[in-house]
Order: sequence, then structure tokens, then C-alpha cells
Amino acid sequence: MPASNQKFTDPVIVKSVIPKHRQDLLKWNGWGYKDSQFVIRDGVAYFTGQRYSIGNLTLPHLAPWVISVLNIDLNKYNVFNDPPKESDYPPPKLTKEIYEKLEKLNIPHSIKVIDRVVRAHGHTLKDIFILKYGRFDRVPDLVLWPKGHDDVVKIVKLADENDMVIIPFGGGTAVSGAVECPTGEDRPIISLDTTQMNRILWLDEKNLVACCESGIIGQDLERELNKLGFTCGHEPDSYEFSSLGGWVATRASGMKKNTYGNIEDLLVHVKMVTPKGLLQKNCQVPRLSCGPDFNHVIMGSEGSLGVITEVVIKIRPVPKIRRYGSIIFYDFEDGVNCMREVARQRCQPASIRLMDNDQFKFGLIVKPQSTFMESVVDGLKKVYVTKIKKFDPDRMCVMTLLFEGDENEVKVSEKRIYDIAATFRGVPAGETNGERGYMLTFLIAYIRDLALQFNIVAESFETSCPWDRAITLVKNVKQVIANECRNKGITHFIINSRVTQTYDAGCVIYFYLGFNYTNLPDPVGLFHHLEDSARDEIINCGGSISHHHGVGKLRKRWYKNTVSQVGVDLFLAIKNEVDPKNTFATNNLVSRVTKSKL
Amino acid sequence: MTLYQKEYEDILSARRAEFSNWFWASRQLNIKYPVVINPKPTPESHKYAVLKSLKIRNLIEEISQRKNVNKKDIENDVRQILDEIGYKKNMKIIRWLALVLTKICLRVCTGIYVNYEGVAELKNRMGDCPVIYVPSHRSYADFILFSYICFTFDLEIPAIAAAMDFHGMMGMGEMLRNTGAFYIKRASNSDPIYWPTFKEYIYQLVANGDEPIEFFIEGTRSRSNKSLAPKYGLIMMILKAFFLGQVPDILFVPVSINYDRILEESLFSFELLGIPKPKESTSGFFKSLKIIKENFGNMYIHFDKPISIREYFGAKLDRTAHSFGPLHIQEITEEEKAYIPPLAHEIVQRQQKSTVLSCFNLVSWVMNYNLTKGNKFISRKELVFEMNALKEILQEWGARIFITDIQNDINECLKVHSNLIYEIDDRIGLVENKIVVGPVNPNKLKGHSLTEDTIAYSVPFVMLQIYVNPVLHYLVDAALIVIILRSPGTMKKDDLFVHFRTLRSIFCLEFVLLESWCKMNFEEALLRLIEQKVVTVNNNEYSIFEQNYLEEVLISSIQPFILAYFIVTEVLQKTLEQISEKALLANFQRLLEDAISEKKIFIHPYCMTLDTLGNCLNSLTNKKMLHKTRHDGQYVYEVDRGRILRLRKELEMYIPSFRVIKNFEIFSHIRSKI
Repeated sequence: MPASNQKFTDPVIVKSVIPKHRQDLLKWNGWGYKDSQFVIRDGVAYFTGQRYSIGNLTLPHLAPWVISVLNIDLNKYNVFNDPPKESDYPPPKLTKEIYEKLEKLNIPHSIKVIDRVVRAHGHTLKDIFILKYGRFDRVPDLVLWPKGHDDVVKIVKLADENDMVIIPFGGGTAVSGAVECPTGEDRPIISLDTTQMNRILWLDEKNLVACCESGIIGQDLERELNKLGFTCGHEPDSYEFSSLGGWVATRASGMKKNTYGNIEDLLVHVKMVTPKGLLQKNCQVPRLSCGPDFNHVIMGSEGSLGVITEVVIKIRPVPKIRRYGSIIFYDFEDGVNCMREVARQRCQPASIRLMDNDQFKFGLIVKPQSTFMESVVDGLKKVYVTKIKKFDPDRMCVMTLLFEGDENEVKVSEKRIYDIAATFRGVPAGETNGERGYMLTFLIAYIRDLALQFNIVAESFETSCPWDRAITLVKNVKQVIANECRNKGITHFIINSRVTQTYDAGCVIYFYLGFNYTNLPDPVGLFHHLEDSARDEIINCGGSISHHHGVGKLRKRWYKNTVSQVGVDLFLAIKNEVDPKNTFATNNLVSRVTKSKL
Repeated sequence: MTLYQKEYEDILSARRAEFSNWFWASRQLNIKYPVVINPKPTPESHKYAVLKSLKIRNLIEEISQRKNVNKKDIENDVRQILDEIGYKKNMKIIRWLALVLTKICLRVCTGIYVNYEGVAELKNRMGDCPVIYVPSHRSYADFILFSYICFTFDLEIPAIAAAMDFHGMMGMGEMLRNTGAFYIKRASNSDPIYWPTFKEYIYQLVANGDEPIEFFIEGTRSRSNKSLAPKYGLIMMILKAFFLGQVPDILFVPVSINYDRILEESLFSFELLGIPKPKESTSGFFKSLKIIKENFGNMYIHFDKPISIREYFGAKLDRTAHSFGPLHIQEITEEEKAYIPPLAHEIVQRQQKSTVLSCFNLVSWVMNYNLTKGNKFISRKELVFEMNALKEILQEWGARIFITDIQNDINECLKVHSNLIYEIDDRIGLVENKIVVGPVNPNKLKGHSLTEDTIAYSVPFVMLQIYVNPVLHYLVDAALIVIILRSPGTMKKDDLFVHFRTLRSIFCLEFVLLESWCKMNFEEALLRLIEQKVVTVNNNEYSIFEQNYLEEVLISSIQPFILAYFIVTEVLQKTLEQISEKALLANFQRLLEDAISEKKIFIHPYCMTLDTLGNCLNSLTNKKMLHKTRHDGQYVYEVDRGRILRLRKELEMYIPSFRVIKNFEIFSHIRSKI
């Protein structure tokens, strides 16, 4: 055997699930695959396609629930915009001279309106609302698909020299407005689509790291690594569609961070192409004591400093067993206290989450129609829980768990968690409930597309906070939302929450907010008002600007107070150093006035 | 029937009509709580939570180390303090008391009027955050009455901050505790265990309690029936839970309570003149039970719109200072403290402006004006005429006035206040020589030892003024403008405002005025005066219409205060540079007694009240014209003569305006006495 550290000498060419022209497989105006969506037929809801386990099953609880809680009228639904035609948007702002220079780069490109529009947005409520009912003020002028690092270097040089703007684009799942084109930008905007640079360049089995190009999509990465017996383990809720480079640029966090770590724990080495040149380290070491860590400048830079091209990430052997679990608690407080105890003992399984009562009920609506036997068993369970164990259906909440490891490890871990839970009056509630909880995570994004059809706007937002603030933070945010809804004349709304991550010093809280906007003007503006009020309250209660969604344009308002004025200046100093012409004019994090305008 | 009356419902009418009050008192209650907490906290669980709080545990630890005392001993001290503070709830006692109160009220009151829509609105709004009732404080009856109203409307009876004086009353203290009272020491000493424990107790009630809290922002009963300047201590403790993000919001509900006749009216009149109150004792309470034979007319309670502090502070409030570090070490920041005075003043102002004025407030007002003019009697016809005129103006200025049938109501006033006014030959006058003063221990006097004659003469005037005082809150700004304009005759708006600001700032304690509202109140009052044709404006020159009834009334209403303040500055000019408070107050009173007793010209005895004189001293101290220090348990003032002189000159300008009412030389008369 050759004494080589590397299993591969040749890169793995990954055939991505997502085609180069994403709209061929994915909805151009909504979340996920075209063939997968909630539909209502004859007053009954079901989910189309075979990609998810509830595919093609009727969901009898969904329609009655939305009718009663959100007061929707199934007979009245909105009609969405048709896909944009060439004439719907102005032609690209490209001079002939520039265009010729671009052609010479020999990098695939497109100036078709549809290609430009599908890269003009992420997945904020505003983005989707515009796609379905409106029109973007500004879309990129050109889409470029570099094939690798060298292509990116050429593009950045060309843009910088010719007064153009680059907005890096990966999976397009941002929920911070980060990939939106800045308004008032007169220069030509290039959408630099990284998805065609998605090779696994090499894999280092001895050190358990893999070098990947930044455009690789989460599910492709995972599938290819699995084939080789490895896993990356980074599973943000968007991982079917989001890219490695995007994870780095937003400081992403995955569901299984307890086992594998967040992106900052996974990342070993990274390359970022800036107008000033390449920022990277000269070694692939587990840690180094060498001044401020510039990896942390790259992580969370949200496309404002350059293009992330190659990332070396940690990998792990695929676990033998993956098992779900769930526990029900009398109330949210018990659940949070249990999570805190699990974190104190540092015995978290791969994932541990806690849905509050509202979300628990919400989760039940995507329960498929059951067979007779199943419903008998369910009925018995319900009697056991509510009558014998005296759980109050309007207070109880559920914890979902995901265990990974070998059989023995999982067993030990399960016992430990269930023992701790018992001290907080928690009762195990089976694997199916746990699994459904995690599936809900992937489905929740699809539900919005259905909701929008019936005058419901909805979105999630998240935060991190110290343990001692968690319960009051949730309580206060819900009250603030209720209050603001009352003030604004919103009569039907939902606000629910879950604790999605635990740390030694705190936890992550995820909120889901939606309301019926029938008869109300400017639903998106109204939603932003509610979300801003909620964020103000979050921050006043000791929570953060964001745990993993990032700042982008949506949460800029709180950036300065979060990092201090010196922090803002420092960021701007870095920005001015690596990108003096503001080629990466994403306008994320801080509004930077371009030099020419000063 | 005025517009406002429809809002009010006499809660006693149902009691009068029902077959058995006992059934009502023992009925099933359908209580609405400010928040629902599971499991429901109890008075004991609150005390336990305080004892186990990190804050108190650290405190116990710290003191035990510092003083080298066993932790158990300090813990016991804390336990004792908590037992002394903590409220209880005993439904049996509450129901029993409700029954007894019903019986008493049916006997001594004509009606208890409550704006039931305000209650309904509050109930509707309740449910997701703490509710704090902030009633005005005019009588001991306030808090029992308020709890009675809560009981009537199925509102949870609040935990009520009561002074320790009550606690001393044998039996009463515990009974009130069982109906929700918790006790606070008056002394603001720096007891290292008591105050942290008390603060934590309040924090616990707000952050983790499900019951409303009631406290009197004025700190004590107002003897003068005017608002007192708000105290910031308790409201700050209450707000802490909000600043620390432990509750999403707090609703403050200003409540005004007005009595046709105040239970303690004569006691207060004496106290205002410096004859001190007896210590609250149970025997004193039983003595006061003789009131059962008397008639106290109506009581009016108005629940004002709740103030959501979240909305009130708005987005400008940044609470992130508390995001850093553990919760239990967080304290309110200086920036947050700065938010409290405007809120406290807002609450007091809402109490003032929601007060339901009764017929007798107007009767007193008109009578007081006529007495100032020198008319000892007023005919019923004139009284009705003047009352109607003033009522209309007051209503335009936003007052709520409860008058159903004026003739009838005046008859009612004559009955209820037979100790103060009487009617003879269709003329109505103030009683004279009816007040009998027993021997007074001069050591107990707070001011000058007034003669029995002076006291007997003065008390009716003071008592009458007490009922005029609630009206003043509507007109103080207008009265000040009139006083200022009267002497020069005409003024530019800017000059007028400069004078107004100065004068108003001197009276900011007297009438509880917030400096930052000065401009707004000025514009509002000026507009009202123009609308009422008291003031005219011509080319930015503001002047007074000649000889105007309203002008006279306004001047007469404010006159005792201007005069009292003027005399304070006069005396301060001529006293020692350093003088004790007691000596000063005695000086003022002696001088005034002298001037009044000659009876050559009319000087309102209300000038002599220690309340007003004390307000003046405190106000001058705040303005740094006086320097106040404490020596051997006495307050001593140091006088800045230069600044006092300037103020005196300013006030002197306004004295001639009194001539409008009656042509007399009050000025030289006073001067001759110094």
C-alpha cells in the first residue's frame, strides 16, 4: 500500500441533485422541489410527491386547524404571478465592452431574466411575497457559473477593475436578505453562482478532513461522503438546498451540532478570494495561537468581503445507528429545565429540541390519516397521557431527540436522557413522535407557500440567550406579538416556539409567526413591524440578534448595538482594506457608503 | 344630567335592592387575574421564593461573613422580616368584611359611584402582564373602599402596600393583612437586611405573582385633598421586573377617589394648621366608628385607562444593560431611573384629571370666592347661578362633574356638611364659632402655638379650601397666567411665558407640576383663557379683558398660595441666615395669625397651613435658594438672600392683582407685621 494520507488523488466530481438551472427542479417562486407541496383538494390537505415520508398521504387535521385558528376561507385563494418573461425586467446594464471581456473569461453565464430573478432573492417572507405577487426593484444583470477557484479569481479581478458588483450566491436559502441586490446600486451586478464548483477536491482519512469546493450542496456533500463511509454531520434545516460556502458565510449551525459542532467547529481551513487577493492560512492544523483568527472574519462575512471558494471541513465515520426519541412534559418550564440539566451534565444526544405547546399542536396537524388500528392505539395513548398521567393538552409540550452512535452508545445515552427527564416529570413518547418532529422542520418551509395562497404570511426567526433568560424571553415575545397584533388589528395569528439547541451557557430559541392579513394593508410591512418588535423585546430580554440566520439586511438595525461602534468601525476597516472599491456591495451587516459617494 | 354621569354606576344600589347582602358576600366569585401562573403562587410561596432567591442567599452569606454571625440566625431575621411584610389572603375574612362594609356603607353613604366601563375595559385588557392599581390617597377609607370595589366587580383583591403604622393597630393590622395588605416601613434608613428583603419581595410579586398590586404613589394621605408630589421608591421597585425583562409589560391603572365628605376632614384641617394627628390606634379606630351616625354622601371612583409602560416608554428605552451578567446582580440603571419621574407624574396627573368633582367641590369653590370678596353669605339663587357658570367652564376644560339636580344636590351638601355650612333665609354661609378646640399640648405642635380663637376661626376656612383644592388642578396654569398678566396689563407671549415658567416652577410641588410639561400646559391654558374671553390677543400682545368674573374666581382660587409663598420670601429676607424649620414655620404662622386676627382685611387662613408653607420651603430648597441640612433630628435652612430677594420681587409684582377681587391693601398690611 502506498503510504499516502489521502484516499483520493483525483477530485470527486459530484453530480448535484440541484441542476445548474435551478428552476428546472425547484420552484421558481417558493420553497423546495416543484413536485413537493401542500395542496388542498375538496377541502382536504395532502402533500404531493414521494420525497418526504408524508408524500401523497392525506392530512385530515390540517384544513380544520387552519380554518379555526387562522380563519381562512378555503374557497378564496390568491393567484400567484406567472414566471417572469424577458420583458418583465429591464435588460442587463452591461456595456458591449464589458460583455466582450466577460466572454473572454470563458466562464458559463446567462443574462436570461428567469436566471437573474431566481438569484435575486433568498427566502425571506418579503422575497417570496414579491415573487408571488410583485416584482423586484433590482435583479442581478448577469449570472456567472465559475468552475473553480481560478475562475473566481478572474471574475473578482474583472469586476474590481471594471467597476462592477459581485453578489456571491450559493443555495439561495438565506433568510436575512443577504443575497438581495442593494437598492440604489447603479453599477452592473454579477450574481456569482458557486454551485458549479462543487467537487470534493480531496479527502484525508488519517486526519478526518475533506477539502470541498464551496458550492457543494448539503445533501450532495452528505451523500457523497456517506458513500465513502463518512459524514460531515452538518445539518441545518435548509441542508437539502444550502451550500457549504453559504454555511461559512452566515456562521451556520446544524441540528446535530452537539455531536459534530457548528460551522466554526467544523471548519479547518478556508480560502476567500478578495479584490486584494487571497485570504487563507498556510497550514491545516487543528488550532493555532497566532493572533486574531481570520477564519472568524470570513465566517459571517455574508458575501461582503469576498468569495469563499474552498473549505476544508472535518468529517466523521458514519454512525451505525440513528434513532429518534421523544419525551412529553407537563409544561414548557419543565421542558426547559430538563434541557438545562442535560446541558449541565453535557450529555446531549446529536439533537435535542423542545417544542412548546402551540408548536406541539401545530405539529399534530401534519399527522397523516391513520389506519383503524393506529387510531385505536393513538386513542389509547391519548387516554393514558391526558387521563392517567394528567397531562393538560393545552400546556404539555414535547421534546424530540436524535441519537447517533453504535447500539450500546445510543442505549446508554437514551437511558441517561430519559432518567433526567423523569426528574422533570417527563414521560417518553416514542420514536414516531420524535421523527415527525424533525420532519416538521423540513415541511414547515413548504407550508408557507400554501399559507400565502390563503392570505397568511408567516416566517420564522431565532435567537440565542443565556439559560436564565430563556423562559421569560419566550413569554415576553409571545406577549409582545399578541399585543402588537391587537394594536394593528390582526385578529388571527399564531406564535409558537421551540428550543432547538443547548449550550453550556445558554440555548437557542426559534419562533414561528404567522397571521391572516385579510383586509389589512401591506402585510409584509406589518410582518416586519411585528418581527422588529419581537426582536427589540428579544434583545431587551438578553437575547441575541441572531444565532444562525445571520444579519444580512433584515437585522442590520441591531448590529451596532450588538458589536459596539468600535466593532462596526473595525468591520468597516477590514472591508475597506480588502475591498476598497466595494465590489462586494452586498450592503449586509453595515450600510457602507461607497467611496465615490463620500 | 351631564354627559359624564351615564358612565357611573352606584354599586350600592344593587346592595340596597337585594334581599340578602349575605348571599351576595358569599357568592361564587369569577375572578379575573392579571396573569395565570401554574401552579398558582400563594402568599407563602412568595415569601419562600424571596428567602431562596440568589439575591437574598448572597446577602445572608455576605452579612454572616462580615459580622461573623451564624447564617441560620440571619436567615431567621429575613424570615421574620418577610412575615412582617407579607400579605395574606383569607377569603372568609374578605367575605365577612364585605358584608360588614356593605352594612356600614348603606348606612353612612348615599352612593358609591364607579365608572364600570373603565372596569370592564381593564378586565378586557388584563391577562398577560402584571396590573398595578395606583389610587389617589385622600383617606384611610381609600384602600378598604378600593378592595370593596374589586370584590364587587370580581376583580382579584390586590396586594396593597400599607404603612407600618397600620400594622401597629391591635387586630386591625392582621385583619388588613388577611385582605391583602403588605407592610412597608416608612423610615428610609439603610437597614442592610430589611430593604433588600423588601425590594426582593416586591420584585417577586411583580415578576412571579398573579395578583394585582396596589400602592399609593403619593406615599401618604394628602391632608389638603390636592395631589402630593409622587414618590419614586416603590414604583421603581415595581418597574425593576420590567427593566430586567422578567415581565413583558406592566399596566398601571391610575384610580381617582373623591369623597363628598372626607372621613378625616376635621382631623386634616387641624393637622394642616400644625396640630398633629394622633397615632393610629385601635381605640382611635373605634372612636372613629361614631362616624356611623353621620352622613358622608357619595364616593366617586374612576378607573382611568391603563398605562402600558411598554407603550409609554416606547422604543427609546434600551434595556440591554441587563443582558450582561446574571440576573440576580442586575440593578436599575441611572438611565432607567430617569424614566421614572415623568411616568410617576403622568400617573398623578391622570388621577387629578380623572377625579369626579362633586357638587360640594363647586359649592365650596363659589363660597370660597365670595368669602374672599368679603361676602359672608351667598344667596341660593346666586350660588346656583355661579355654580352653573363655573361648571360649564370646568367641563370645557375637561373636568368630570357629578351633578344630577343642582337644587337637590345643594340640599344634600347642606345635610352632609352641616358641620361646615348652613342655610338661613335662603342664604348660605360658613359656620362660625362652632369649632371647639380642647387644650393642645404646645410641645406637640409643629408650628406656632396658635390661639384657640385663631384655630376656631381658621378651621372652617381651611376645611372649605380642602374641598376647593381638587378643582385647582384644572385651573392652576390659567390662574398663574391671569395673575401674571394682571399687573402689567399687557405682555408679549414670550415674556409671559418666561414669567409663567418661573412662577410655575415655584409651585411645582404645591400642584405637582412637571417642569418638562411647562410649555405644553402654558399653551393649553392660554388657549382656554382666550376661549373664555379672559385674555385677548392683539398683535402678539396679550392682555386681560376688563373685570371678568372668571378672572376674579381664578385669582381668588390661587390667592392663598401666592400670598403664603410671598410671605415665606418676605420672612426669609429678614431672618437669621441659618434657621431651623420649626422656627421658620412658627415665624410664618405667627405673622399670619397677627395679620388675620386684626380682621381689618380678609386674609385667607389657608395661608397658615404647614402643608403649603412646607411645600414652599421644599420648592425653594430644590431651586437652591435654600440649603437644607439635618442637625440633631431637626431640619435647618441656610438662606441665599440674593436669590430669595429676586423671587420676592417677582412675587411682589403679582400681589396687586388681588385688588381685582377687593380693593384692599393686603400688601402694606402684611408688611406692617414683619
